[in-house]
Amino acid sequence: MAAGSLLDVAPAQLFPEQVTNALGLPGVIGEAVGALIAAFLVGNIMLAFTGVAGPWAKRKITAAFTDRIAVDRIGPFGLLIIPAAAVQLLAKELIIPEGADRPSYDLAPLVLPASAMLGFSVIPMGQLGPLNLQLADPEVGFALTFAFASIASISLVMAGYASNNKYSLLGGLRAVAQNLAYEIPLIVTAMSVVIFTGSLRTSEIVAAQQQALFTVAGVTVPSWFAIVNPFAFGLFVVANLAEIGRNPFDIPEAPTEIVAGYQTEYSSSYFVLFYLGEFLHIFLGGAILTLAFLGGASGPGPASIGFVWFVVKVWAFFLFTQWCRSALPRVRIDQLIEIGWKGMLVLSFANLILTAVLVGVIAS
Amino acid sequence: MSLQNPDGDLDPADEASVVAQRDPDELAELLGDAVIGREEHLNAPGFVIRPDAVQDVLSTLKEAAGYDHLSVVTAQEYENRYESIYHLKKFADPTQEVSVVVPADKEDPVSQSAEPVFRTADWHEREAYDLVGIEYDDHPDLRRILLPETWQGHPMSMDYDKDQPQVVSLREHANPLQADHREDESDTMFINIGPHHPATHGVLHLKTTLDGEQVADVESDIGYLHRSEEQMAQSGTYRHQIMPYPDRWDYISAGLLNEWAYARAAEDLADIDVPEYAQVIRTMGAELCRIAAHMLAVATFALDINGDFTATFMYAINDREQAQSILEDLTGQRMMFNYFRLGGVVWDLPEPREEFFEKTRAFLDQLPGSVEEYHDLLTANEILQMRTIDTGILPPEVAKDYGATGPVVRGSGVDYDLRRDDPYGYYDELDWDVITEDGCDNYSRLLVRLQEVEESAKIIEQCIDLLEDWPEEDRTIQSNVPRTLKPEDDTEIYRAVEGAKGELGVYIRADGTDKPARFKIRSPCFSNLQTLPEMANGEYVPDMVAALGSLDIVLGEVDR
Repeated sequence: MAAGSLLDVAPAQLFPEQVTNALGLPGVIGEAVGALIAAFLVGNIMLAFTGVAGPWAKRKITAAFTDRIAVDRIGPFGLLIIPAAAVQLLAKELIIPEGADRPSYDLAPLVLPASAMLGFSVIPMGQLGPLNLQLADPEVGFALTFAFASIASISLVMAGYASNNKYSLLGGLRAVAQNLAYEIPLIVTAMSVVIFTGSLRTSEIVAAQQQALFTVAGVTVPSWFAIVNPFAFGLFVVANLAEIGRNPFDIPEAPTEIVAGYQTEYSSSYFVLFYLGEFLHIFLGGAILTLAFLGGASGPGPASIGFVWFVVKVWAFFLFTQWCRSALPRVRIDQLIEIGWKGMLVLSFANLILTAVLVGVIAS
Repeated sequence: MSLQNPDGDLDPADEASVVAQRDPDELAELLGDAVIGREEHLNAPGFVIRPDAVQDVLSTLKEAAGYDHLSVVTAQEYENRYESIYHLKKFADPTQEVSVVVPADKEDPVSQSAEPVFRTADWHEREAYDLVGIEYDDHPDLRRILLPETWQGHPMSMDYDKDQPQVVSLREHANPLQADHREDESDTMFINIGPHHPATHGVLHLKTTLDGEQVADVESDIGYLHRSEEQMAQSGTYRHQIMPYPDRWDYISAGLLNEWAYARAAEDLADIDVPEYAQVIRTMGAELCRIAAHMLAVATFALDINGDFTATFMYAINDREQAQSILEDLTGQRMMFNYFRLGGVVWDLPEPREEFFEKTRAFLDQLPGSVEEYHDLLTANEILQMRTIDTGILPPEVAKDYGATGPVVRGSGVDYDLRRDDPYGYYDELDWDVITEDGCDNYSRLLVRLQEVEESAKIIEQCIDLLEDWPEEDRTIQSNVPRTLKPEDDTEIYRAVEGAKGELGVYIRADGTDKPARFKIRSPCFSNLQTLPEMANGEYVPDMVAALGSLDIVLGEVDR
């Protein structure tokens, strides 16, 4: 049902093909080179987000919530803190504990950002001028994003176990318990979106949200799934917060309880990689939310500025996570598991069944 | 223990007699032949008892006469003997005091432990053993508490050699990572929380045994911040050299409250009057300190529950900063005030007075709004309620048994506040309430602190009104106090004030010189911290952290 509308919002060519064609690269090797260049560019966009978010935006946002000023000493608005922080963090000594279990100790900080970066490969980020910023659009794209995002927990367990530190171990165990409790409601809720669209292809999920739902006083409200099914949206946001481990669910790290959880022993570049990975996962969480519930890269104005809307939505989610951090207390691990298994799971299945019934009734 | 049987075996007539004031002779009769002598302390009658009758005497006083609060145990050495003094009070009426003096042999200082009667004696007697060297028979765990296990000698005993090197090789220290903490068969995990840990609010070391995420056992290891405050006070003169030290006990904004503890004891000891005007200034300053201290308690509690990016922390620090700024105007210092003098305060309110009043009023005016905001952010938040209600339970009887005081015991529903029950300063002239909550949990202790802030604001407001209208010619800030104070030989006094954390007391024994012969600090945090295992055992790690946060300890006061 979405195939027709797909053509309205996006050109048929994906970003790697566009790069290949623009550079005139021939054959299979040409395609591979084009794909690599495209992936490199998209990866850098995400890393740039993180670079801005970690040392600067996060500090500014938290400061705004807490009546402070934060970084404003170097550069306009303190922006030069970004290169300064990069130099500072990379220049620190890398300390590896004696009893660390290598190589998993070294791999863990790579797995976390890598899994998030992979997740972005199937996210349709909208158009920027003539460019269509989506790396791949496989038939199971939507399922793939969750698969990639879930690899993160493996990284946390690896870090927690390999550090040979009891706080890290507790953090790793908490990470597993938390992810088990929340991954299932997250995916079951996402399935209700798939019922609406009838496709796992990410571009089609976006396309399905483009029709007008209704018009109020001249303003056309699009059929974003957040508006069509706000209940599922709410569930998804909560589960997503737990998935990315932010307040009130920052239990695997829980400073003031278990120091820094799984990343207690990590320093220098390894620490940066974890930090990077966590931010990438917040952005990936925002991207999935945007894709599934907020109409993807669509918004007022021509389709060619879609990427701007995508960025706005993803950053809005980032802002939301920071708001939660500033305002909400943290739940206890047993309470979290109770909420996950006894509350969210039941609600998400109820949502799934209701959606299926409704869609069935409307279709017939 | 007594929780299951709250005074169950006493009939109503007896209960009345428990609260009633007893004549010292009547008490002596009650104690029978355990009493071998009588002493008169300035605050209470003293009974010298046989060293092997401590438990009998204390349990008689506790059960039959109602002395249910063991404030502190003071240990000291004389030329011919050692002595432990158990300062007893009643929670119902702290003006009824009695001192139980237990002499011990000079060569072999041993006396019976009071631990089976008062749980709080556990730590107090360990401290006495550690610093003075008295051994307590029947004590469950007589180890050093403030000094390292390897310390040589007892530093407050007379023959202690200060020049003796205390160098101990690392190998001889207890190694927290030693192999015996890793039992192969055991299901539990030993974990060191602190001395450097985000949740310990200072250098506190919790030796914790975890069963999964639950606390199977926790033991506090204190003393990292021990600075010999008592010893330092003993080598200073009453008049000027001691007053700066109290600021360093509960060093987080509560300075004036601490100074008052010393001032009250020393003024009563040397019979010094304080002009009424100075009392009003003292009361106002002390309550500003209480607001600042409670704000910090709320702020750090929010850190423990919310995590380290919480906005509440900065909001509370902001409010504390305003109180701090007023205190700076008043005393000239931000934290180490040194503002009280024996017989008054060091100087009058800052000129222009109108500006000071205006600034203080502005602070008081916005305070209810801030407190409302904390209620919105914390107490009204469902997640916080989920976390704090019914966690960290401290039943009133257990709290009393441990000598817990301040917001901790008031959060367990015990109506005990020295400002009202044993009035000093200008408190009895003012209109305010003692806050209690019956929840006995982390939530109640938070509520008590938030409400006490408002009560303190009420007190300050009334003080400001009084000070504003005070006739200029009557503004005496200090009474006439001799340049050198030499209280009479062999007078002893224990006096306490309501500090930010609870009953902060000072015991002084004078020996006719211008320096105290014994200066003992009763730290509320020391006693409060003792209750942690009661609240934490069986709870989850996060709840233990919350319980610790709700105790609001300051290690400077615990370790002294």
